[in-house]
Amino acid sequence: MIFLTVGTQFPFDRLVQAVDDIVGDGMIDEEIFAQIGKSSYKPRNFESVVSLDKKAFDERLKEASSVISHAGMGTIIMALDNTKPLLVMPRLKKYSEVVNDHQVAIARKFEELGHILAVYDVKDLPEKLEKLKFFVPRPRDNQAKAVADRIAKFLNELQETKY
Amino acid sequence: MIRRRKKLRVCLSASSGGHISQLLKLAQSWKGRETFFITTAEVVRANLKEYGKVYVVGECNRQHPLKLMAVLLKSAKVIVTEKPDVVISTGAAVGCMVCFLGKLLGAKVIWIDSITNVERLSLSGRIVRYIGDLFLVQWAELAEQYNNIEYVGAVI
Repeated sequence: MIFLTVGTQFPFDRLVQAVDDIVGDGMIDEEIFAQIGKSSYKPRNFESVVSLDKKAFDERLKEASSVISHAGMGTIIMALDNTKPLLVMPRLKKYSEVVNDHQVAIARKFEELGHILAVYDVKDLPEKLEKLKFFVPRPRDNQAKAVADRIAKFLNELQETKY
Repeated sequence: MIRRRKKLRVCLSASSGGHISQLLKLAQSWKGRETFFITTAEVVRANLKEYGKVYVVGECNRQHPLKLMAVLLKSAKVIVTEKPDVVISTGAAVGCMVCFLGKLLGAKVIWIDSITNVERLSLSGRIVRYIGDLFLVQWAELAEQYNNIEYVGAVI
C-alpha cells in the first residue's frame, strides 16, 4: 500500500487529484490509501479519509511500502523515523497552498542529501513514482543529542543562578 | 537549615505538526524539570500528556490579525498564570508570541529555528532573534549569516 498524506491543516487538491488521475490511467498498480485533510477534491480511484488520529496514522504509515506527501516537516520526520521511501511535492505560494515557499527549499535540500524524492510539477509525477519503487532513503545523521545537551547546559546554568 | 531549591518552570511551545516533532526530539534536555506546553491544535493534546499541563490556544498566522489577537490574549493568560522561568520553542507564530510574552515577564528564551529554514531564518526566528538568550539553528550556513546564533547540529 502507498500512503498518500497532505496534512490536515490546509487543502492540497493539486497533489490529491494528480495521484487520482495517474491511478485512473492505470499507471500505479499498488493500492493507495489517502488522508486528504481539507482538500475539496475527493479521489475516485482509491480509498481516502479526511483525517486519522495519531494511532491510526502510525498504523497506516507502518503498513505502507512508501509514502507520497506535501513537503511538510511533520510528515518528512515521520517517514524518516520509519525509514519509509518518501516522495514529496512542495506546496506552492503561487497556488495559495501555503504562505511562503519554504517547502520547496527543504524538499530540494533533503532530495540533494538523498533522504527523499521530490517532484515540483505534476507532469513529472509518473516518472518519480517509478523511481519511488526502488528508492532507498539515506538515513539522517542527526545531532539531536548534542543539541539537547546544549539546552540542558543552559537550563542547568539558569537553575544555578536563579535558585 | 537546608533550603529546598525551587525547580525551574519550563514552558514548551510549538505549533502542531513539524514544529512539535522537532521540539520533542529534544525532550532529554528538560528531563526532570517542571514543564507545561502551549500548542495550537487539540489533535496533539494526547501526545503531550507526559510534558505537564497542555494549553491549546488555537492556530494563527499574520494573514488573520483578529485570530492572532485572540491567540495572543489566551497565551498571555497562560503565561501570567504559569510564570515560566524559561520558554523553549521551535515556532512558528504562536511560539514566537509565547517567547515575547515570557520575556516580558522575565523568562529566558531558547529558540531552535525549524530545519525547514534552509537559506534564511524563519520569519518568527528573525523576530525572536532580538530577545533570544540561546538561539540555535540547524544549518551551519545560517549561523554564519547572523551574530549571536549557534549551530550545534540538526535535531532530525
